[in-house]
Amino acid sequence: MTLPSVSDPHLSDPSLVPAEQEPPDAPPQDVAVSMRNVWIRYRTSFDPNPTMRKAFTSMGKKTRERNIRIVEAVRGVSAEVPRGTVMGIVGSNGAGKSTLMRALAGILAPSEGRIEVRGRVSTLLALGVGFNAALSGRENVILGGLAAGLTREEVEAKYDEIAAFADLPDGFIDMPMRTYSSGMYGRLGFAVSVNMDPDILLVDEALSTGDAAFKEKSFNKMRELCEQASTIFLVSHALGTVTELCNDAMWLHKGELIQRGEPKEVCKAYTDFLHVKQTSMTTLEDI
Amino acid sequence: MTDTDTAAREALQAKRNELHIYEPHKANFPPMRPYVRDLWARRRFAYELSRTGQRSGFLDSPLGALWLVLNPLLLAFVYYLLVLVLSSQSKTAFPGAGITTFMHIIVGLFTWYYSQNCMTIGATSITMGGRLILNQSFPRTLLPMSALISAFLQYWPTLPVTVAFYVGFNVIDPQLQGLTWPMLLLPVLFVIQTVQNMGLAMIFGTMQVYFRDTTKFLSYILRIWLYLSPVLWFPERFIGHSFQWILYLNPLGPVVGSVTQIWINGEWPRASFILASVVWAIVTLLIGAWVFVTRERDFAVRL
Repeated sequence: MTLPSVSDPHLSDPSLVPAEQEPPDAPPQDVAVSMRNVWIRYRTSFDPNPTMRKAFTSMGKKTRERNIRIVEAVRGVSAEVPRGTVMGIVGSNGAGKSTLMRALAGILAPSEGRIEVRGRVSTLLALGVGFNAALSGRENVILGGLAAGLTREEVEAKYDEIAAFADLPDGFIDMPMRTYSSGMYGRLGFAVSVNMDPDILLVDEALSTGDAAFKEKSFNKMRELCEQASTIFLVSHALGTVTELCNDAMWLHKGELIQRGEPKEVCKAYTDFLHVKQTSMTTLEDI
Repeated sequence: MTDTDTAAREALQAKRNELHIYEPHKANFPPMRPYVRDLWARRRFAYELSRTGQRSGFLDSPLGALWLVLNPLLLAFVYYLLVLVLSSQSKTAFPGAGITTFMHIIVGLFTWYYSQNCMTIGATSITMGGRLILNQSFPRTLLPMSALISAFLQYWPTLPVTVAFYVGFNVIDPQLQGLTWPMLLLPVLFVIQTVQNMGLAMIFGTMQVYFRDTTKFLSYILRIWLYLSPVLWFPERFIGHSFQWILYLNPLGPVVGSVTQIWINGEWPRASFILASVVWAIVTLLIGAWVFVTRERDFAVRL
């Protein structure tokens, strides 16, 4: 059985799809992602390794409470993102960009508000694609595809495409992934996430590992996905990439959405802000 | 265009337009219908994850497969020696030094190890799957399910060994009954035990996320639990004693007891055993599902 190609015009026409079993307040069909007043808080404890022994020995001590902090990573973000958008997300470290990506992927639940995502999400998040370093590239690709909800046949069919796209040096695809260089890791990760026929692709700071040739290839692939009406979220510190690839942009600062609009304008506002902060800091230092 | 093409196209269309809604949750179940549907759609993932894990472990070599059988067999022998020593002390609880005792330990230990492996593999299933959990969204139940499959893949090679010993011992031991009708019940008991193992894997997998030393405690718990299970002693010698409640309070007691009764005595297990094992299996699975599924959306934050 062969699946129709995704560029099939019928598929990108939302009006052909019956909207059954949907809540009455669901977003319109052409909205890929809708965030309504999304807050994400989580508790962090300074203890990366909680154990029963520690819980037992620190029972009755008050200090344990102090080690827990509530982090508000995303604070009241609302946005509707239409299908086919390439959304750039900029902001300094700790702005909540990666947390927001995780929430869109359904990995973290929002603490408040509501996120609606229409279609299949493929992620390329900061940590790689959940690869297990002891397994070969091939096994990881298959496992990743199955976890994403593809059937075994679909994954097998995609496998050659992925391997060709990643274009690893000879034989590496069957070697354990701990033998890979970080560039090879990144290439395979990108190859997997873009070749899953995603409706929504979430890319978090992952284009930096490839070399110039691979970067060019990934840009082309992302443009191709846009033409097929996929929606892309691109988190990047490389503002050049954002202005070049995106047609919409968001600037997050300390969890809040500061500005949304034309990538050029948003990037300019963001760099101006950084610049002001920097100069004020240097002025402070001068005094 | 053929019918299958149309079907495939419709399926893809549905996928492209499927609406996912993410909302806040307290300790609560997620919407169960999509959850179970996603779980079923990805069942192959659980199998492949377990298979690749096993292969990178030991199953890829013939000696590795032999070890799967040899390891519990050697343990059975060690415990047999232990029982020999103990039975010289107390004749009531422990059987004598006969072949029946050895056969009983083999059957009991192999059955017990199916559950024990499921608990030890299941306990680390979430913490080991950390990267996958941080990067992809899928029903986390797939991870303990994969642990269950791993435990089964380690269990089934011991079954022919059990049969081989049983056939061999039947020649020399008059107490063994050969092929009997109650053996028809063994597959049912296997299903009951599997249901229970799933619940156990979910419980210990969740515990390990919150307390990373669970696996350390688990090794002691499992040792004690094994001694409290009818593996080293004959269950029927307990019946009628004032302390027979130990058998029923032990979640794995009734099911292990039933299996050994069928193999060793060739008789139908007591109805109370069957009833208790069914009740324990359902209770364990319900507790496991509740503990796990209500907390699984919290795992990504805790890893």
